[in-house]
Amino acid sequence: MLKMIHGAQDRDLRAAHTTAGEAGWPVPFPSVLEYNSPAHGPWNIVHMGMLIPGAHQIYVCADNCNRGVILTAAEMGAQDRFSNIAVSEDDLINGHMEELIIDGVGEVLASLEKKPSVVLLFTVCLHHFLGTDLNYIYSELRSRHPDQIFIDSYMDCILQKDGLTPDQKLRIGMYKCLEKRPLRPDQINIIGNDLPMNDGSELLQMAADAGISVKDITRCASFAEYMTMSESFLNISTYPNARPGCEVLSRRLGQTSLYLPQCFGYDEIENELRSFAEAIHAKTLPDFASLRAMADEALFHAQKIAGSTPVAVDYTAFPRVLGLSRLLLEHGFNVVRIYADAFSGEEEEDFKWLAANHPDTEIYATIHPDMRVMPRGWDGKLLAVGQKAAYFTQSPYFVNLVEGGGLYGFNGIRSLCGLMEEAIAAPKEIEDNVVRKGLGCLSCIDI
Amino acid sequence: MKQIAVYGKGGIGKSTTVSNISAILSMKGLKVMQIGCDPKADSTSLLLDGARIPTVLDLVRERRNDFELSDMVYEGYAGVLCVEAGGPTPGLGCAGRGIIAALDKLKEKGAMEVYKPDLIIYDVLGDVVCGGFSMPMRGGYADQVFIVTSGENMAVHAAANIALAVENFQKRGYAKLGGLILNRRNVRMEEEKVAELAEDIHTRIVGTLDRSDTVTDAELLGKTAVEAYPDSEIAQQYRTLAGTVAQMCGLESA
Repeated sequence: MLKMIHGAQDRDLRAAHTTAGEAGWPVPFPSVLEYNSPAHGPWNIVHMGMLIPGAHQIYVCADNCNRGVILTAAEMGAQDRFSNIAVSEDDLINGHMEELIIDGVGEVLASLEKKPSVVLLFTVCLHHFLGTDLNYIYSELRSRHPDQIFIDSYMDCILQKDGLTPDQKLRIGMYKCLEKRPLRPDQINIIGNDLPMNDGSELLQMAADAGISVKDITRCASFAEYMTMSESFLNISTYPNARPGCEVLSRRLGQTSLYLPQCFGYDEIENELRSFAEAIHAKTLPDFASLRAMADEALFHAQKIAGSTPVAVDYTAFPRVLGLSRLLLEHGFNVVRIYADAFSGEEEEDFKWLAANHPDTEIYATIHPDMRVMPRGWDGKLLAVGQKAAYFTQSPYFVNLVEGGGLYGFNGIRSLCGLMEEAIAAPKEIEDNVVRKGLGCLSCIDI
Repeated sequence: MKQIAVYGKGGIGKSTTVSNISAILSMKGLKVMQIGCDPKADSTSLLLDGARIPTVLDLVRERRNDFELSDMVYEGYAGVLCVEAGGPTPGLGCAGRGIIAALDKLKEKGAMEVYKPDLIIYDVLGDVVCGGFSMPMRGGYADQVFIVTSGENMAVHAAANIALAVENFQKRGYAKLGGLILNRRNVRMEEEKVAELAEDIHTRIVGTLDRSDTVTDAELLGKTAVEAYPDSEIAQQYRTLAGTVAQMCGLESA
């Protein structure tokens, strides 16, 4: 029988938590062996790849390495869009790595009832380590299957620590099949998000007011529609990991690229919306004073309900976790804890503000190995924003949201306030919610 | 830009031969980059008065990605651009993986775009023992492979092994076998044995170098023969060989 050990051991756990006043910038905790909590809402490469309508994913790896991705595909009911080519030790020793992939992909394609729109072919750390000739593989595949689009994709843990991560590479790769077309001045793209931007966002409203349609892979109903993203004159990215993909695509197709990260500072939001307005040649601007006032009102209302209830936030809910903390603190919320393992360079100003104004705010790691034994729970009621905050505090009063949830701009702040009010009012089952992979995707898990 | 890779049994004289060729072609006006693909990192020392330069892998180990091209590309004798890939600590790690990492880093840093060499010569460790050491003969790298050999049995066997690798990769469009370079050791029936090898592996001898104490004397000075003893017979043989290689690459001197 497995023994629950969290909280049961008397040991020094100070390596896994600090305070805003003492935290190192930008990485407060040492990079060591990592703990993987059961909070699995953030999307992984399988979820992301399935956003391309009609795409089929093929992973080339040892059986056990396949485990996580195949379970993801199964959980989201996408087994029919997933295949695996198993690598054995013989393949490594005998140098058959290229032929294995070329022949294996051929077999997979022959077995499918319907030709996929795109094949996302995932090579792994073995291929990286052995220097498998991927250029040759893709050249040969395209020669043998000239009507099939292949996108080079990576499930390579060696790439996690340096350069572009597999996540970022996939957000680049997912748009590689878009081909150069004449650009339309009345169409723009949102690139690299996993979740659609909230319908009420000022950005979407401004586009609509300017007669501009917005394409987003999260809303594309067909592969043909997805391919029309080539025709947009402007690409917007709002999620940090999406930025490289947005810029690469824009350079390739001659589109304009604009990075407007989801943020919480009113000035920054307004500046971004002004930049957007300029990019789309908008004739009018939103009433920013009114938008600010409405956001303030929503925050005021939510804070009245929250009162002095402690609040914990985590980075999986919002990349700009420090910006969120500052927004809430500035509006009277009792933010006591931030769960994050590192901070983006975009958050330096907010980091300094927190250190200067709320130095006692706790900062906890989420992947440090001591987090597996860190006592979980909170004495009393606590509002958690994010799955990891909910899991580590064991608070059933949580906003279940990942990757910013599409909540952009002042409207996003108002929406978040609504979600916080709902969370405080109605507790949720923690385990049932946080263990499901890819929040927003179908999940067949029955707790 | 043309690229060639030079393979051959360890100790057969690859680096010496390659360094002399690099120097000669550079003196003729071509921009030449010599990339040592050997963990010993001694390929270019004769172009640098015997000095050793920091290897690409040394830089990666010490500075991760925080270094510039000028930290790994050094100008040697006659303007030859010298690079050493480096390798792991002896007895530890994987040298083949190190070659892959070093060549990837050169590409990532844009070495070819910045320096725009007319000719790149990869001086590669003795045998093709794994995927990493075959990287210089891949698509995107060398167009031709030259193998330095003598009439000694082990050198001949190594040459045959390398030629087999080149042949195996032909269907992938990798480098073609340019030919053999006979670096004489004055063993019995040397000419005949190497000629037989050439026939067996469907190639030819593109150049012959006599065994020469002048080469050893130059090495003691930390120099190539063409630098230390430009009027020597061996220097002239290197010039002939360099001319043949350049012609086979379709290069014309400036």
